[in-house]
Amino acid sequence: MRLKLILVVLPIAALLAVTAGFAYVQWSKGGAGTGLYSRDWAPDPVQGYWDPDNFYHSPDSVVGVFEAELCIQCHQGITPGIVADWSTSRHAQTSEPVYCNDCHGSDHQQLRLPTPDVCGSCHKKQHGEFKDEARYGFPSHVLAMERAVDAPHFADKPKAEVQSCVQCHSVATKCDSCHTRHRFNTAEARRPEACITCHSGPPHPDDESYFGSAHGKLYLAEGKTWDWSKPLAKGNYKAPTCAYCHMDGGRHQVAHKSMWKFGLREINPQTSKNQVLRQRWIELCNDCHQEKEAEQWLAEMDQERKQVWGKLYEAEAILKDLRSNNLIQPEAEDRPPYPMGSLWPRERIGFFEGQASAFYNVSAIERDYFEMWYFDNLGSYKSAAHGNMHGVEKGHKKMSASLERIKTYAGELRAASEADSNSKKGVGVAEFWSRGAYTDYNREHN
Amino acid sequence: MRLVISIHRTSLACLLSMVIHAVLAGDLLNDGPFTDKECVNCHVEREPELIQQWRTGAHGPESGLVCSSCHGDRHRGSAEKARQNNTCSSCHQGSASHSYATSKHGVIVILESTEQNWKKPLKTGSYRAPGCSYCHLHDGDHDDTMTTDRGPELRHWVCSGCHGPRYVREQFANAKRQLEIADLKLAEGEELIGDVDNGQNEMLLKLRKRLIHHRKNVLYGVGHQSPDYQWWLGQPALDGDLIRIRDAINKLNH
Repeated sequence: MRLKLILVVLPIAALLAVTAGFAYVQWSKGGAGTGLYSRDWAPDPVQGYWDPDNFYHSPDSVVGVFEAELCIQCHQGITPGIVADWSTSRHAQTSEPVYCNDCHGSDHQQLRLPTPDVCGSCHKKQHGEFKDEARYGFPSHVLAMERAVDAPHFADKPKAEVQSCVQCHSVATKCDSCHTRHRFNTAEARRPEACITCHSGPPHPDDESYFGSAHGKLYLAEGKTWDWSKPLAKGNYKAPTCAYCHMDGGRHQVAHKSMWKFGLREINPQTSKNQVLRQRWIELCNDCHQEKEAEQWLAEMDQERKQVWGKLYEAEAILKDLRSNNLIQPEAEDRPPYPMGSLWPRERIGFFEGQASAFYNVSAIERDYFEMWYFDNLGSYKSAAHGNMHGVEKGHKKMSASLERIKTYAGELRAASEADSNSKKGVGVAEFWSRGAYTDYNREHN
Repeated sequence: MRLVISIHRTSLACLLSMVIHAVLAGDLLNDGPFTDKECVNCHVEREPELIQQWRTGAHGPESGLVCSSCHGDRHRGSAEKARQNNTCSSCHQGSASHSYATSKHGVIVILESTEQNWKKPLKTGSYRAPGCSYCHLHDGDHDDTMTTDRGPELRHWVCSGCHGPRYVREQFANAKRQLEIADLKLAEGEELIGDVDNGQNEMLLKLRKRLIHHRKNVLYGVGHQSPDYQWWLGQPALDGDLIRIRDAINKLNH
């Protein structure tokens, strides 16, 4: 009898829970912003240029319907740079030119900024591949914008500040991140510099790590003389560029061979799925190198990753131990609510607890760990993947130094606690950590 | 005989054409080298406004820079030389030029360097992407055309040669908001530092330097449209500075 009851009640409860969960997610996406936290934020006025589908509003300054030469005649005077760019593009130099209105529309009060869907109405193959990249999950180009706005720190911080994030994450919402407007040159996107506006800086020094590798050095020395009109295929280039390896054959899916998850968490490189991905890399390297060599490089990278995660786990364990003994100062409850006033204030340590957002409103030792994980580790990861041994060495040295710093600091915290075991929490700690010109502003303006 | 005349005519035409080209290219003018005093003495007559702009601008005599610093001391190719990015980046190194070099503007200039014709004057829409000089010395203005004291209209006008006016307005407005936020972080840090040892604590002053450096990165980031300088080398770096300033003060108090 009881079993029957369970058999009936459990599925109904599960169904209700799933429905309620689904409804909650749908509801949460119905705010002024976008994504899971859409009800917690409203966009900065400039965000329409980075995510036109969701936030762009056409200007109402000009009334009328214009097409082809009419647009050009006027814009020749207003924005001659755009017209000059377009005139030298393939869009202009065909028997049936693609005019301004073909992408932007004709009614000047209802102009649109072209999204990938607009470009895709002609460039079907590229657009189809681009959209289909979603099946590889994230990191990927196509999911970049939705994952950016779903990061707790995006919702939490002032919207003007995080416009810097969406500039790069707009690779999901516009095509001109790689083929700059209004020339939209294929050759431009084949070259490594096309990627470095976003793929640079502490967490993803793809520029440094590539340009310092043998491939990159060859490109820097000779790249200017190569024929960039050639497709990204075997035998066409003396050294590979970003696009040659990550978008081989012109496939608009950078995640097609991705298996290390941007170096942010440990992966098992030998799962059956990853063996397929490894084979894809080996086949690609085989355009120029022997298979055995490629296998060896992948094995070296496995070793490099293993060493890195050994260090990161050691640091993580130290921090978790401090947390369980209430030794992290200030404690989570003594600092500004983060992210967005969670129900259980708790220090977030490690990938699965949301470490990626834990770079502000945290204690110094947590920030040290964040930098070790996000900067030192990722610098080393990129160097290993790009065959830049100097970068790997540098990254590992930095990680060792960070680990030492964390150990020393943890020792100090323990010693201070033992010396003063009866002391109560300092007075005014919360006040000290939660007040200040920016901290107050952030609380009010997110 | 007719052939001889015809050859003579051809050579004459050739010679004439060579002379005209040579004059136009400055070959028959005195090509120098000139001292900087000579440059100024001559150009103050021909382009008094330009000399005035140079004198009152950031590159004026007080900065120690002279005409030849950017133009070289010869006439031929002097404008072309001064327009090129390399000329500026020989002094403006580090964040200033790196933030530009990784921006879309900088990237396009590098990628299309073979067709980048620096002989063209720095006029509206004359370049596919702007080099340093296109924005900062627009239309040959020898004072910096991008500084705040030249007023927003001038800057908006320079960018509007290639971008829609509303786009330009919105980008500048956001840049201002981003900078205001960076300034709030700077103010928060400075207030904390000022409360300890009358603001003279050595360790905290070191942290203050980092704070100022990262605030400047945000400025370069929004000015040159480099997301990386706005973000990773800017705002979150400032967040880290604030954490470390508080932590340092905390340690001093125990």
